This record gives sequence, C-alpha cells and structure tokens, in this order.
Amino acid sequence: MKGTIALCLAFLAYPFVFSNAFYLDIGVALLLAAISASAWNIVGGYAGQVSVGHCMFFGVGAYLPLLVYQHWQLPPIVGVPVGIAISLVLAVLVGLPTFRLSGHYFSMATIAVAELIRLVVSTWDFAGAAIGLQGPAVGRGWYDLTFRGELPYYFIFLGVLVIVLAVTWQVQRTRFGYYLRAIKAGERAARSLGVPVRRTKLYALMLSAAFTSVAGSLYAIKTGFIDPDSGFGILVSVQMVIIAALGGAGTLYGPLVGALILIPLQTATNTWFGGGGTGLTYILYGGIIVIIARFEPGGLHEMWQRIAPKLWKRHAA
Amino acid sequence: MLLLQVIVGGLLLGAIYALFSSGLTLIWGMMNFINFAHGEFVMLGMYVALLVVVWLGGGPATFGFAAAVALFVLGVLVYGSLIRHVTRGPMLAQILSTFGLALLLRYTAFWIFSANIVSLPQTSLGGTLNILGILVPVAQLVAGITAAVLTVAMHLFLTGTTIGSKLLAVAEDRNAAMLMGIRPDRMQALAWGLAAASAGIAGALMAISYPWSPSVGETFGLMAFVVVTFGGFGSVPGAMYAGLIIGLIQALSAFYFGPIYKDIVVYGLFVALLWFRPQGLLGKA
Amino acid sequence: MLLSAQNVSKEFGNLRAVAGADLAIEEGEIIGLIGPNGAGKSTFFNCLAGETLPTTGKIVFDGVDVTTASPETHARLGIGRTFQVPATFEDLTVLDNVMVGAFLRHPHRTHARAHALKVLDLVGLKDRQDLRARSLGTPGRKRLEIARVLATGPRLMLLDEALAGLTPAELQQAIALVRKIHETGVTLVIVEHIMEVIMTLARRIIVFNQGHVIAQGEPQQVVKDEAVIEAYLGRGHRNWRKKD
Repeated sequence: MKGTIALCLAFLAYPFVFSNAFYLDIGVALLLAAISASAWNIVGGYAGQVSVGHCMFFGVGAYLPLLVYQHWQLPPIVGVPVGIAISLVLAVLVGLPTFRLSGHYFSMATIAVAELIRLVVSTWDFAGAAIGLQGPAVGRGWYDLTFRGELPYYFIFLGVLVIVLAVTWQVQRTRFGYYLRAIKAGERAARSLGVPVRRTKLYALMLSAAFTSVAGSLYAIKTGFIDPDSGFGILVSVQMVIIAALGGAGTLYGPLVGALILIPLQTATNTWFGGGGTGLTYILYGGIIVIIARFEPGGLHEMWQRIAPKLWKRHAA
Repeated sequence: MLLLQVIVGGLLLGAIYALFSSGLTLIWGMMNFINFAHGEFVMLGMYVALLVVVWLGGGPATFGFAAAVALFVLGVLVYGSLIRHVTRGPMLAQILSTFGLALLLRYTAFWIFSANIVSLPQTSLGGTLNILGILVPVAQLVAGITAAVLTVAMHLFLTGTTIGSKLLAVAEDRNAAMLMGIRPDRMQALAWGLAAASAGIAGALMAISYPWSPSVGETFGLMAFVVVTFGGFGSVPGAMYAGLIIGLIQALSAFYFGPIYKDIVVYGLFVALLWFRPQGLLGKA
Repeated sequence: MLLSAQNVSKEFGNLRAVAGADLAIEEGEIIGLIGPNGAGKSTFFNCLAGETLPTTGKIVFDGVDVTTASPETHARLGIGRTFQVPATFEDLTVLDNVMVGAFLRHPHRTHARAHALKVLDLVGLKDRQDLRARSLGTPGRKRLEIARVLATGPRLMLLDEALAGLTPAELQQAIALVRKIHETGVTLVIVEHIMEVIMTLARRIIVFNQGHVIAQGEPQQVVKDEAVIEAYLGRGHRNWRKKD
C-alpha cells in the first residue's frame, strides 16, 4: 500500500520536476506504453493466452477517433466508444474459434488477423489507405482534446493507467482472476474444478481488447495522425508483449516496471544511434524477448522474488 | 491462354510454399510447437543465395545447396540453444522464444542489408519457355519442380527410411521412443535442421526469380501458417496439396482482383478456416 | 442410485479400451476399481469424469444424463476427480489452489476463502497454506488435489491412484483422510493398483479386465473369484503390487 502511494506521488510530481518538453515526452510515451502493456497483460499475462497481434485492437482504437473526425467532423473522442465496440467484436471473432484449441492456435490467429486488417486498411481509401488519417490540426474547442503542451495529455494518460491498474487489481481479487490464473497453470485441472475455461478466456480477451483500444485512441488523439504501420504494425504488438514480459507477465505492476525500463532505454538508443537507431532498437527488442523466454519467463518480477530473500539474509547477517 | 499461364505460375510458386511449409508442419507434428521465425528462415535462405552468388559465384545448384546447409546448421543451433530449453516451460516462453527470434533475425537483416529491395543477378536459368502457347520462365519452372521433388523427397524420407521412422516415433510418443533407444533430443534437433533447411532452399529457389527485402520473412511466415492450417497440422502431404492450392488461389486473386489483394484473400481464407475447420481442410476431424 | 453407467465403450482407432462396461453406484458407497495394467480402467474412469467421450453407452448421474457433458458440467453437478499425476496449480499457493475449487459454490471471495480454509483444515494442510504448490512433495500434492476437489462440494469423488507411491506411514494418513471424507457424506470411487489398501477401504470392489467388468462384490468374495485370480495371477503374482 505504501509503495502504491509513493508510486502515485512520484508520477504526479514527475511533470513538475522534469518540466522540459523532452522529459515530458518520455513521460507521456511511458504512460501510454504502460497502459497498452497492462491491457495485454490481462489476457497474455494472467490468463496465459499469448496474443502477438494485439495491435489489431490498438489500431481500431486509434483509427476510429480520426475516422469520425475526418468523415463527419465529429470530435475524435466520439470514436472512442465505437472503437471499443469494434474491438470487442474482433475479440469474439478471434477468441471464440481458437480458445477451443491449444494456445498456439490463438497466437497464430492473432498475428494473422492483425496482418489481414493492416493489409485491408492499407488499401481502403475510406480509412486513408497507405497514407493514413489526420485529426484536427487546431482544436475547435476543448472537446477536440488538442492541447498545446504535453501536460494535459500526461494527466489524462495517468488517469487512464490508474483505471486500468485498478480494474486489474480488482480482477486479481475476484473469482474471475483466480480462474484466469488457474487456466494459465493448467487448463485440464481447471476444467475439472468447474472453471468454464473457454468463456473465461474470452472475457479476459474482451476486457483486454477494450483497454487496448482505449490506448490506441489516446495515441491517435494525442498524435493527431495515424497510418497502417503505427496503428496495425507488428511492432505495436511487440512493444506490448516485451514490456509486459520484461516486468513480469501476470503481475499487477509488471507492465509498468517494464515500461519504466524499456521506454527510457528506447529513447536512449534512438538518441545515441540517431536515425539508424530504430533498427538497432528492434534488434535489441528481439534479443530481450529471446533472453526472457530462454532464461526468465517470469520477467524481472520472478527474478526479484528469487533474489530478494537472499539479499535480506545478507543484510541480516 | 493468359489464365492458364496464371494457373501454371501459381502452382509453381505454390510448390515452393509447400516446401517451406512442410518444414513448419514437421516441427508442429513432432513437438506441438509453432515456429514464428520460419518465414525469417526463408528470408535468410534468400540472402545466403545472394551472398554466395556475389562472393563465390556459381549457379542455382551451388547457392541452393549452400542455403540448405547454412540453414540446417542454424536450425540445429536454434534448437540446441533455445527451443530445447523452452518446450517444457510455460506457453509464454514457447511463443516468445521464436517470436523474439523472428524479430532478431528480421531486424538484423534490415541492419546489415538495409530495407532496399534486392534481386539476384541473371542466372543460367534465364529465358522463357513456350509450352503449347503458355509462356513459363525457365527459372520458375525449374524452381517449382525442384521444390515439388524436394517436398516429396521429405515425405519419403520420413515414411521410408530408418531415421525418418525414428523421427515419427518421437512425434508419436516421446517416452515410448526413448524406451526403444531413440534419443528424442537428437531427433528433434534433426527435425529443426531439416525444417530450416527446407525453408532455406525454398528461399534460394524464390530468389532466382523474385526480388525481395528483409520484410518478406513476415509474409512467408504467415503464408506457412496458412498452408499448414489448410493441410492439417503435422502432415507433409497435406502441406504439399495445401501449398499448391494456396499458390493457385493467390495467383488467381492477383489476376482477378489485382496484386494488392492476393494476400488479403489468402489471410481471409485462413481466418475463415480457423472458424469453420480448425483441424485443417485436409486434416482429420 | 447416484450414478449408473450402461454399456459404456470407448474405441481409439481399432483399439477397444472399454468394451461395454456397466457400473451402478449407490449414494454413500466406497468403491474400489481395480484391474491389471491396460485393463481400460483409466479410460473408463475418464469417461465417468467427462473427460473422454464414450463411443457408445450412457452415463446417468442423479437422474441427469451426463454422457456427453463437459468436465465443467460434471464438476457443477457434483462429480469431482483427481489426476493420476497430481495436476496442482504449481505457481499458486496452497490456499489459492483450494480457493479455485471453492469458488464453484462460493462466488464471493471471502466466502470462498473461508470455505477453502475449512477444507485445508480437514485435509491437514492448513499450516502450509501460503506455500506454493510446487514446493510440496508428491504426498502433499496428492492431498492438495483432494482438498481442491473437496472444495467444489462434490457428492461423488473419483480418485485416480490417490494412494499410489506413498510410504506406509503416508498411506495410513491417506486412508484416514479418505475415511474422513467418506464420513462427511461423499461417495467415493477409487482406482487403485494396490490390492491390500483397497481391501481395507472399499465396501465393494469392481474388477476390470480387457475393457469390461469381470467381477464385483465384497472384497473377500472378489479375491476368491476365479476370473480375478486368472486376470491377475495369470500375469504373475508380482504385477499385483507394481505400479505402471
């Protein structure tokens, strides 16, 4: 509890301590990454159903606000609930057939559906095809959520992150959360104890999809621009997976910890290596993912659990 | 006549799909494991072909062989250093291992070779044949037939040789195979080598006629998923038929709807298949 | 009658693992299901638990046809089962393992927790409630599995070799536990290889061979049965006590 309060205070103080635009930018990027990864974590971490195509929900969430603006001049925020609704439908379409089968089918289906959507969007003029969509350049009112500085975005994103984590915390404590962990630990045994496995997995995917969609909307509203690669590109999914897995998939704060490490690291590699750095960043991503999978699938959380008791012992001695 | 030409072209490319997909299906059949980096193996096969041609010269036989050997070694290494350690671990580790590997290989290729589209210099297989009025580039004809022969050879190897039957025994029942004195680890390493080699040769064969860039790995990886799902998981003959069918569907949709739709149609079919017949169109119910 | 299985068969390809097995269980019984290795009793057991779909036949539990029902439905109706190789949730604590079971009848967390603690007390794992399941030994994990099933509030419990691989001391504790569970009103079916144990526990023994029931009755009566002696002793006396 103390830790949570300290964490909240640190996040509230951050923009005032590091008020220059560069640091604020990192803060906003970090919060967004933490939101998406926490959303992924619900199905990928807690339920152990590894989606590698979560960009489909992020992209839908990102496109809808700009679509409603582009075609009907509505405030982008109107697109947010529509995005959530479409993401939920997508979640059912992907989850219903694959959750009967082994986990590999689900992973394959997510990546294939995400790529299918990316290809369709890239050729679909209504959605801006390969060029993408733009939001209002100058806000017509507060409802367009176009702010000159980063500060308002920082606090909106922080608020959403708090909501996602609070929901996750609540899920963890309820029957639904116990069922998710049971499914991850052993489907056959869970089923024998009366856990409705398929339905529980589907609900987890839907909850996760809704939050991921919101993350996409936040991204698009803040950036004011979206194209197929920044919405539906594989790297969008990769970032969610790597951040959650690094911090500890299936733990409340794992994704946040992962974002705290990875986003500054990413900024650093991009700064050090200049424009060519992005390629190196992704090589690094791949390397980190392989190392986590091979040596520490529980991420830093599991590592800490193992090391911490030994550290205390040394202090005591 | 044009339609026939499209059909022949589709089948020839489909034979290559069948070749690299048979590798993916072999791994699935043996260890219930999906390799997300399989498409990257194909992509690496293409670059091996390029490097061999540029540095050493030599024709398709030389660089095809080189790609097979290089990828076989890579496959065994990947198995020994990574896959072996994650197969008994949690689902997250299983999926992230090859998914991370795919990113690592893809972006390393981007870094080394840049995102530019490259192609092989004209090989000895230039020119076009006119078979009863159907124009078929010699390179595509040779590549397609080679791929078909190799896929059949893979099937015969698995079903007709001692080592092949040992591989299948491990796939059937790991423990029983161990009791019979078969070492599952070695057999699985061999399977990974063979799977990667099939991807490598397929890459080299495609490199003869098609230009590419490091991003093709993602497309081929997904294509292999589609073929394997169509053909039934774990079945090499299934992959053979499904590869040909997918190649044909792709060629026809490019012909009727335009080239940008060819992958959309195939992935759309894949999603439909997952819904209605997840065990594969040709697989057993 | 609590459960009845009529003419249940299961074929895997050409192999008939279960060939027309019948079984009737009354409320309050302890039944021992025995038979040599490969007799098909595990397959039959899985049919009863809803994990394997029989090729033919009918299984009725308390008036409900459960032949094609899912394992989840079996649990909800009151049929619980353990696994031959304990399938505890290794990363979860002992208490959380049992709570997963308890949630079936107690949707609210505090109620589920209270119920789980009660069950842990009964099976004697309360002092280890905060350990992760994987840190328990095999006897502990078998006990935990029983606790988990018990928490779902079953009327019929199917135990798959819950007593195998235990030392004599552990065996005595396990037998005491099974008796205690029986006293709470749960009907039990125990699949077992060890003849002696089942003799002291079961009121009725069902002997399985080659896919069907070859003998049943009181323990003393069954061991004298010609067909049983043939099935067991024909394969050598040592097989009696050996695990597979």
